[in-house]
Parts: sequence; structure tokens; C-alpha cells
Amino acid sequence: MTNAPRARAKCEISFTVNGKPETVRAHPMARLLDVLRFDLGLTGTKEGCGEGECGSCSVLLDGALVNSCLIPALQATGTHILTIEGLAQDARAQLLQQSFLDCGGAQCGICTPGMILAAHHLLHKKSQPTLDEIREGLSGNLCRCTGYMQIFEAVADAASRGAST
Amino acid sequence: MRANPAEYDLVAPRTLPVVLSLLAQEPGAWLPIAGGTDVMVQYSAGKLSARNLVSIWNLSELRKIEISTEEIQIGAGCTYTDLLQHEIVNREFPLLSRAAGWTGSIANQNRGTLGGNIVNASPAADSLPALLAYEAELLLVSASGERRIPYAGFHIAYRKTQLAPGELIRAICLKRSFSGYYAHARKVGARNAQAISKVSLAALGRIADGVVDDIRLAMGSVAPVPVRLTEAERIVKGKSIDSELIHLARATAAAEVRPIDDIRSTLRYRSAVAGNLVAEFLEQLRASHERAGKSSAVLARWNVLSVDKAAEEILPCCGSKSWAREMANRRPVTDEASILAACDQIWEDLPESDWLEAFRSHPRIGESRSPVSSSAQSATWSGQEQQNVGLAREAVKAILAEANRAYEKRFNRIFIVCATGKSAPEILEILRRRLQNDEPTELHEAAEQQRQIAHLRLKKWLTL
Repeated sequence: MTNAPRARAKCEISFTVNGKPETVRAHPMARLLDVLRFDLGLTGTKEGCGEGECGSCSVLLDGALVNSCLIPALQATGTHILTIEGLAQDARAQLLQQSFLDCGGAQCGICTPGMILAAHHLLHKKSQPTLDEIREGLSGNLCRCTGYMQIFEAVADAASRGAST
Repeated sequence: MRANPAEYDLVAPRTLPVVLSLLAQEPGAWLPIAGGTDVMVQYSAGKLSARNLVSIWNLSELRKIEISTEEIQIGAGCTYTDLLQHEIVNREFPLLSRAAGWTGSIANQNRGTLGGNIVNASPAADSLPALLAYEAELLLVSASGERRIPYAGFHIAYRKTQLAPGELIRAICLKRSFSGYYAHARKVGARNAQAISKVSLAALGRIADGVVDDIRLAMGSVAPVPVRLTEAERIVKGKSIDSELIHLARATAAAEVRPIDDIRSTLRYRSAVAGNLVAEFLEQLRASHERAGKSSAVLARWNVLSVDKAAEEILPCCGSKSWAREMANRRPVTDEASILAACDQIWEDLPESDWLEAFRSHPRIGESRSPVSSSAQSATWSGQEQQNVGLAREAVKAILAEANRAYEKRFNRIFIVCATGKSAPEILEILRRRLQNDEPTELHEAAEQQRQIAHLRLKKWLTL
């Protein structure tokens, strides 16, 4: 049996991004990350490792934290996607952002959108996480600048300011 | 080199029969992809040889957990998060939920599937030793029907499985017969989160009449496929655990594994760790058996006391008289798990006034006397729980005392925290955070801390 691809054609893929219905023409195996960045211009979602280790490309897919570099665009059909641009409209995220600023939780910035999404996802599940729970919740997001402590402090600070509600 | 998506095809049928008929029409031509946590990594790196993929992500036939009295059938498309959120998996198959919890990151747990972990066939896969220990069976499905095989023989060599072309794992079956077992899972890796293991152990053991009547030792990363340590198991089975047996089992396990040198570790280290993990398990199995013996003696005595006496004896574990009386009414209680479950249920249902009564039975953090007089037993336990606070510098203690006063002024009751194992600075940080809570949030947080204290005290009481 040949292993040549059946079709190279692009197809129409529809989903909701940050509350807005979108339809893109993309190859079904295009990575969701690339569709968001290049087809929809949502460049807040970053590419770090491209293999699901670093969390820079984190988005929420139907409410679940995922690495968009590991998701074929076709599998996003019909889903609700929240990127950092969508979260930025949310008052809770602004609290998180302020805590990151106040605590020095952001430096070069490439991990920051993923960190904020992972933190938002965590606070949604646990409004007052312990330090261990914060560490676990952010363990899939790598930062090469801060040494992490400022980020953990920022999340704890945001929790105490009510970022989950 | 980065893959070019134009060179790949992906289709996403909506039902399992359509997937199976596609696989049957062109055996070997289509690669199934579920959550993509393995396939997409190879794809992105340009190392995926398959060009035609079929999505099995989120197919309802594969993403359900079916329960019968004898077994549970976990759909192969269930994610690690699905497993972690499932009450029966957590309660009856702790080896599997532990493995699910330490697989990858939260994002990977939301996408990675149990079936995918099996088919990917890595010798370091986190969930596989647990499946070996529980002697799982697999339901394999194809367009021509279904077959059921033991998981134990599924991996035939490094990255090779018994899966025929056109076949998928539909479900993983686990017998619900492990309530009498002590379960122990351990992963040794370079860091806690998101590490590929150097050595991992999933172990089950049961002691009856003083001897080990069943033992299952399953390891990952010590051979081309996950393995049972049958030699070490044979040596232990039927024996009573003493230091000589532990020594022998350690040496046998270290000699029995067939690890390799690779980027993550060395053969010598892995062999030594394999032996040590087996020894650690046997020590814990023995200790848990001794604890169970003590608890059942304590409970047997407590079960036949009058209600008043029984309530009085258990009162220091919590401090609420209503709680103590309800606990006494739940008798007979025969084991630790049941008494902890009863504790949680009763505590949850108590009115606020009873919670407050329990809070008042504790001394302030940093002090030794409670606001209302409590029993000698409760005072002794408070002293043990606050051991680390006692070690703090005087300056820290003074700040803590100040913070306690601020808390009491704000909430009009004493600050409750499960202090066991926590240092004064840690407690101070928690106190400062909780000062920001609104009243209902804080009340529930304090109640949760009191519940944790009650658990620790019940466990101490059972081994007094």
C-alpha cells in the first residue's frame, strides 16, 4: 500500500476564537498554532519548543489547557478556542497581568502568554491554590528568565486579589 | 527539518465504525492520531513517516469509562485528565491515577490518552507498569470484530506491539479486585514534573496470615518493554517480610532488570535504583500491615464502648462534640479508610457553630493553650503539629503573633491551619494570604484545614 498522501488540498475549518466564529482554509495537518498566528494574525500565542514541552503556545480549547503546537487544525473543528488576546478582554486576566507586573513575573515575555493562560486555567479550578498547586499548575510552562519564584508569587497574589472570580 | 503540512492528509470520521472500515480498506495506510502528544512531536520534527492520518480524538465510543461490578472498562481515548477526574479510578486504581498525575504537564494530560500511551510503546511510558500490576486486559477492535487479550504480552519487543494492521485498542479492562492490596507507585526522574522516568515502579502487595500472599512488581525504563519482576516476586511470595528477605529481594530485582545506558541514566544506576525501589516497597508494605494490625485492635476496642465513652475518646481528633457523637454513632468501623470517609462526611454536614467549636479547641499557632480548655491528648497533638513553629526565631514568632491578632480582629476567631510539616515562615505566608479572603471563603478554607488536622489525628489515634 502506498504511503503517498491522499490529498494535499486545503479544507475549510470552522471554530470559535475568542468568542468570534472563524472559518479558515488550511491543510488539515497544519498546526493550530500556525493557523492562529498566520491565518488569524493572533501572534500572542508563541512558539517555543514546538514539541509540547514549554507551554509557550498554550491556549484553552473548550476550556482545557492545551499546547496548540500539538493540535492538527482539523481537530479544532467546532471547538471554542481562547487565546491570550481573548483573555486580555477579561477583567480577571487584567488582575493576573497586574500581579505579573507587580511581582516581576514577566521579563523577556515569550513565556508570559502561556503562563497567564495556565494560571487562569489553574485559578478557574482552584481559587486559592497552595504553592505546590501553583507549581504543579504551571509545571508545563518553562521560563528561562525569572527563575519562576516571581511567577509563582504573581499567581498567589492574583489569587488573593480574587482573579478567579 | 520542519514538516510541510501540504504533504500530509488527515481525515476525521465521526464514528468508530467509519474509522475501522477505513483502516480495513487499506491496511497499514492510515496512522491513527488521538491527542497528538506523541504523533505531533514526530510530525513537527519532520520524522513522521506516515503521510495519511485518521483522527480518533474524542470519538465517543473510545472516550467513556464503563463500570460493572466485576471490572471497569476504560475507553482507549480517555485522557489522563479523564482518569484523574474519575472517582472509581482514583479510589480503586491508585497506581493508575498516580501515573496519570505525573505524566507530562497539565496540557499534556488534557490531550494524551491511555490507549495512545500503550500503542506508542515507550519502555518509559508512565501508565504501563500500573497496567501490568493490575493485570489489565485489552479489547482490540477491527472491522472484522473484537478480541480480548492480556496486556502483559502486548508489547513484544522495543516499540513493537501485537496490534494487527487495521486494529485499534478500544478499551482497557481492569478487574475490581484490589481492595485488600497495598499499592505503591514511584517514579525516579530528573525533576518532579514532566520528566521521562529513569526507573519507575508500580507495585501491589497483600499480606494474609503474616505472609505475602500476592505481590506484583512492575517496572518501566528497565528493559525494552515494561516488565514484571517475576524473580523478585517469586522470592517474596509466601514469605513473611523481614530484613533478610528485603535484602534478598533488592539483590534479585537489581540482577533481574535489563536496563541500558542512555541520555537519561546508566545501566548501573538503574539496576541499583530498581533494587532500592523494591526494598522501599517491601518496607512500606510491612509497615502498612503493622499499622493495619494496630488500627484494627484500636477499632475493635472502640467499637464496643458505650456511645458516650466512644465519643469522648475520639473528641480530641476534631474538637466538635457533635462530630464526635456522630462518629460514635457510625460504629462499627473496621478500618482506617472507613473512619476517614465517615469523618469527612460528618464534618462537611455540620453547621457553622460546630465548626467554630472545633476551631476553639486549638491553641493559637505559636502558643500552647487553646481558648477553651481541651483534653491532654489534644494539647499533646497540638504540640507535635506545631513542632516546626517552635523552632522558629523569636523575631518570626513575634511577627506570627502579630499576624494572629490581625486575623482574629478581622474574622473574630482563631486562625486554623494544618501546621504539620510547615515552618513558621510558611504559615505566616498562608496567614497573610488568607487575611485577604472574604468571610465565606475563609470559613471554608479554615474548615478544610480542620478536616486535614482531623485526618492526621485519626491516623495517630489508630496507632496509639
